[in-house]
Amino acid sequence: MSSPRDLPLPLVLGALLLATGLGLIASMLLAPLPRGLAIAVLSLIKAALLVIGFMRLQQESRALAGALIGYAALLCALAGLRIALAA
Amino acid sequence: MNAHTPPARLAAGQPTSEGGMELLLWILVWSELAVFGAFLVSFLILGLLDPPALARLHGALDLPLAGAATAVLLTSGFFAARAALGSPPRWNLVAAALGGFGFVVLKLVAYSHEIPTIAAVESRLVELYFLITGFHLAHVLFVAVIMLAIAWRPTPRRTGTIAVIWHAIDLVWLLILPVIYLG
Repeated sequence: MSSPRDLPLPLVLGALLLATGLGLIASMLLAPLPRGLAIAVLSLIKAALLVIGFMRLQQESRALAGALIGYAALLCALAGLRIALAA
Repeated sequence: MNAHTPPARLAAGQPTSEGGMELLLWILVWSELAVFGAFLVSFLILGLLDPPALARLHGALDLPLAGAATAVLLTSGFFAARAALGSPPRWNLVAAALGGFGFVVLKLVAYSHEIPTIAAVESRLVELYFLITGFHLAHVLFVAVIMLAIAWRPTPRRTGTIAVIWHAIDLVWLLILPVIYLG
């Protein structure tokens, strides 16, 4: 079920927690424009880590994994845009 | 439905093929994502139309507690992934379910802090906030209970299915976070 190319689960969890912490810090410290960009990128990274690292969906269907990440990218981009427009 | 399914099996009301069940699973997952996506886009649009209400809502939200709840939910997803990817499923599923219950407790504590302030804000944003987070909370609670039931007698197929649903719920929360909390 696992292949040598898979990210180890503890590493995925650590990266997810780190990205969560960075997102919270960015939301408290940054100005709206960089905050929107940082939050959108960090949120997308988390969504991609969940799909690729935890679900390992790319092993069953690259199209399905791509669709989930694309869907998350759309919502993250809209959220980042809304935050940036608050400037 | 598999075209090669013998008619006798269908007549006997036996389960559909594994491929059919997998299709149903993904229809469920995408339905959830579509519903939450519509709510989140509505929240973004209302936030643009009513910035003062959004600012008051953000002022009332408990961001550290939301961060803690996120960490608990992600850790729970880690255990669900372990169960689905070959580790002994029973205790990993129990740990994942306990993480889900931990998330529910943290969110209820957050509501208890937030409600007195938010109740004074007259805006559709507040209704959407409770609709989105409450609907997600109900999903976490319901699926955590099912996960405990599956942990009682785990099979690879049940474990894999519940892990996919759990990760979808995690993904929804990861999308709720930037839209509602981190603005």
